Amino acid sequence: MTRYVIGRLAGVVVILFLVCLFTFVLFFTLQPDPAVMICGKTCTPERIDQIRDVLGLNQPFLTQFFGFLGGIFAGRDYGEGANLVHCAAPCLGYSFQTNQSVMDMVVERLPVSATVAIGAAVLWLIVGIAAGLLSAVKEGTWWDRTAMGLALGGSSIPNYVLALALQYVLVVQLQVLPFPQAVAFSDDPVVWFQSYLMPWIVLATGYACLYARLTRANVIDTLAENFMRTARSKGLSPALTMRRHALRPALTPIATIFGMDFAALLGGALITETVFGLNGVGKMAADSIAKNDQPVIMAVTLLAAFFVVVGNLVVDLVYTRLDPRVRITTP
Amino acid sequence: MSELLVVQDLTVTFPTTRGPVDVVRGVSFAVGRDETVGIVGESGSGKSMTSLAIMGLLPKGATTRGSIRLNGTELLGRPDRELRRLRGDQMSMIFQDPLSSLNPYYTVGLQIEEMYRAHRGGTRKAAREVAIRALGHVGLPEPERRVDYYPHQFSGGQRQRVMIAMALVCEPALLIADEPTTALDVTVQAQILRLLAGLQRESGTGLVFITHDLAVISSIATRVLVMRRGEQVEYGTAEQIFAEPEHEYTRMLLESIPRIDDSLDDPPHGSLIGSPDDEVIL
Amino acid sequence: MTVAAHPEQVAGPAPATSGRRVIRVLLRDRGAVLSGAYLALIVLMAIGAPLISAITGHGPNDFDTAAVNTDLGGVPYGSLGGISSEHLLGVEPQNGRDILARIAYGARVSLIIAVSATALTTLLGVVLGMLAGFYQGWADQVICRVMDFLMAFPALIFMIAILSALPQGNRPVLLVVVISVFGWPYLARVVRGQTMTLVNREFVEAARASGASTGQLVFKEILPNLRSSLIVMTTLAVPGYVGTEAGLSFLGVGVTPPTPSWGQMIASSVGWYAVDPMYFVIPGAFLFLTVLSLTVLGDRIRAAFDAGEAS
Repeated sequence: MTRYVIGRLAGVVVILFLVCLFTFVLFFTLQPDPAVMICGKTCTPERIDQIRDVLGLNQPFLTQFFGFLGGIFAGRDYGEGANLVHCAAPCLGYSFQTNQSVMDMVVERLPVSATVAIGAAVLWLIVGIAAGLLSAVKEGTWWDRTAMGLALGGSSIPNYVLALALQYVLVVQLQVLPFPQAVAFSDDPVVWFQSYLMPWIVLATGYACLYARLTRANVIDTLAENFMRTARSKGLSPALTMRRHALRPALTPIATIFGMDFAALLGGALITETVFGLNGVGKMAADSIAKNDQPVIMAVTLLAAFFVVVGNLVVDLVYTRLDPRVRITTP
Repeated sequence: MSELLVVQDLTVTFPTTRGPVDVVRGVSFAVGRDETVGIVGESGSGKSMTSLAIMGLLPKGATTRGSIRLNGTELLGRPDRELRRLRGDQMSMIFQDPLSSLNPYYTVGLQIEEMYRAHRGGTRKAAREVAIRALGHVGLPEPERRVDYYPHQFSGGQRQRVMIAMALVCEPALLIADEPTTALDVTVQAQILRLLAGLQRESGTGLVFITHDLAVISSIATRVLVMRRGEQVEYGTAEQIFAEPEHEYTRMLLESIPRIDDSLDDPPHGSLIGSPDDEVIL
Repeated sequence: MTVAAHPEQVAGPAPATSGRRVIRVLLRDRGAVLSGAYLALIVLMAIGAPLISAITGHGPNDFDTAAVNTDLGGVPYGSLGGISSEHLLGVEPQNGRDILARIAYGARVSLIIAVSATALTTLLGVVLGMLAGFYQGWADQVICRVMDFLMAFPALIFMIAILSALPQGNRPVLLVVVISVFGWPYLARVVRGQTMTLVNREFVEAARASGASTGQLVFKEILPNLRSSLIVMTTLAVPGYVGTEAGLSFLGVGVTPPTPSWGQMIASSVGWYAVDPMYFVIPGAFLFLTVLSLTVLGDRIRAAFDAGEAS
C-alpha cells in the first residue's frame, strides 16, 4: 500500500513537471514578448531591455525554467543589491501586471473558487442523485420520462447562457436577487448567500442533470443484478433491500466521478466566475490569459493540473475503501 | 407422507410485445416434508419460473393462475408483505451462480446476519454467532475468520456453501435449489450435492432440486417432475421415471446421460415455443 | 421488458445490428425525428446562409443604424430586440447588424468546427487506440502515458492559453487542432480496450492463422466490429464540440470578429442582457437546441444499437 502510494506520488510529480515544462515552452516560444506588453505604447528599446533584464527574460530558456522550478521548492531572489526581493518558497513569481506575488493571489482567490465548487457540489449531488433514484424506481412512468427529458435539456444549456437568463429573470425582471457582489460571509451572510446562489445554480445545473442520468442508469442496472433477487428471496424489507443492496453498488461509481469533477472545479470554474465577476482562480486564469501575464498563467495551469492529478490519486485510494473487490497490487 | 408444498395446475403468463405467453402451463406436483423432489428440464423449460413463482419472485408483469400451497396455506395472490415473512423463513432458495448471487460489497457474515435478523431479530452479535455456526455447518474451515470475508475471496464451491449456509440459517421448511451445481467444477459439484443431500436428511427440510441433468438427481430425488417448453411431461417416483419412463422425451433425456452441455445461461424464450426437438437435446 | 429481465428469456439468434434496422428504429422515435428535423434545418441554414442574406437583403456584417435608437445608446427600435418583417430575428444593439444573417453564418462556423474536430478526434483516437490495442507492448505504454498526460491537463485553461498565445492565423483550423489534441484520448481509451478484446477473439485468431496480413486484420476484422461504438461516440462528441467552440468564442479566444459565431454573439450580448434580452436569447436558443438535438440523437442511436445487441 505505502509502496503503491509512493509510486503514484512519483507519477503525480512527473506529470506536474511535464505540465510545467509544456506550458513554459509554449509561452517561451509563442507568446508576444511580455516586456513589450508591460512597457505599453510609449516605449523605447532601452526601456524594453531594462524590463527584460529585471524579469530575467534575457536569460536562456533552461535557466528561466529551472529558476521558476527552483522558486517553487526553495524560493528565489529577484533583482540585486538594494533592489533585491526575496520570494519565499513556494514562490510562483510576481505578476507582470500588478507586481503582486502570484502565490498571494492564489491564496487570496482559492477560497472563492472553493466556495463556488462546494456549494454547487452540494446542490448537484442532492438534486441529481435524488432525481436519478426516483426515476430509476419509477422507471418508465410519467415522472421518469419528464425528469430524464429535463435532464437531457439541462445538460445541453451552455452555462453562460443559463447565467445570463437567470440574471435577467431573477435580478432584472423579478428583482428577487441583487447583482452578485464580493462580500465576505462574516460581513453580511445574507448578501453573501444571495451572491453565490446564482453561480451555484448555474454550475450545478449541468452536473445535476448528468448525475441524474448516471444514477438512474446505475440503479436500474443494479436492480437487475442477481444479488438483488437473492436479497428479495431472503425476505428483507424493500427499504433495506434498496438501501443496502442497491444503493451502495449503484452509487460507488458515481463517487469516483464526483471526485474527478470536484477536483477539476477547484482549479477554477472559468466561465461561471467570469460571467458573475467572482474573483476566483478561474477568473484569474481568464484575466491573466487576456493580459498575457505569464507567471499567473503558469500558476493557474499548474494549480488546475495539481488538483486533477491529486484528485485522481485520492479517488483511486478512496475506491479501494468503497469497493472491497478492488485491492491494490504493487506491480 | 404429509405434503409440505402442493402445486396445482400452475400457469405463469408473461406479457410480451407479441401478446401474452405462457412460460409455465398447468404444472402440478407436490413435495413432502423431508422429501427431495427433482424438477428436470432443458433450458427454457419453465423450471426456474416455477420456482420463482413459488417464492413469489416473478418479474413484474408476470401473472399466475392455479394454486401453490405451503403447509396448507395458499401463496398465490397473497400480498408481498405477507410473502416476505415467509421468504427466507419458511422457504428459501439457492441460485445457480453463487458469485453474482451474493452482494460483492458486503461480507458474507453480514449477508447471513441480515437474513437471520430480518426473521428472528436479536442483536448483531448474536446473529454473527449464528452466521459463524452456519458457515461451519456447511463445511467451511475457519468460519470465525471467513465470516468477515467478501464473496470474491472464496472459491466457487465455497461460495455455493455460503449460499447454502445462508438459505438454511432460519431452518426453513422448504429449500429450492435452482441448478446449484451447474456453475461448478465436476469434483466440486459432487461435494456440493453430497452436502445438500446430507443437510436435507439431517434437517428434514423439503428440497426442490432443479436441474437440466437427470444424472444429478438420480441419487437424491424421491419424486421427479420432467418439464419441457413450460409443460409437465412426466411426474412420478424416481424409480418409475428412471426404470420405465412413459414419455418419449424422458427416454431421450435418460439416453443422453452423460451429455455435453456447456451453456450456463438458459437459452431464449424463442426456443421454448417452436424449436425442433433435436435442438433441445444434443 | 419483463421478459428480457429474466435469464431464461434473453439471448438467442440476435438480429444483425444493421444500419438499416437502427434507422428504422430512429424513424419511429419522436425525439429522434424532431432532433433530426431541427438539425436538418440548421444545416440548411448554414449552407444557404448567402441565400438568406440575398433574400432579406442583410449581410452578416451590414450595419443598419436605422434599426437602432442611437439616442438610447443603440437599443433596437421596436419590441423583442427589433424583430420586424425587415429583420426576422431582430438586430444587434448599437450597430444594427441582422441577427438572422449572423445566426446563419454562425451556424457554418459552429458546424464546420464541430464536425471537423470530431473527424480529427476520431481519426486520432481510432489510429492511436488501435495501435495501442493491437500491438500492445511498448507502443501501448507510450500511447497510454501520453493519454494520461493529456487527460490530466486542465484542458479548458490550456486551450484558452494556447489559443491566446498562438499567432492569429487561421482561427477555425487552430480551434479544430487544439480541440482534437485534447479530445482524442477519451475516444482512444475505448478503442484500445475494445481492440484488445477483439484481438484475442476466435475470428481474429482464425483470420490470422489463415494468413491474413496486418492490414486485412485491422480493416476487415477489427474496424467493422468497432463500428457501432464509434458511431455512438462520434454522434455524442459533436454536441460537446459545438459547446466547446461556442465557449471558447464566448471567452474571446475562438473565431475572431467580424466572423460571426454563436458563442461570440452571446459574449457580446453580456453587456446588453438587461436592456435587450433577445440579443442573448436568440443565439442562446439556437445553441441550446443544436446541442440538445445532437445529444438526443446520439442518445437514441446508442439506445438503438444497445437494443440490437441485447435482443
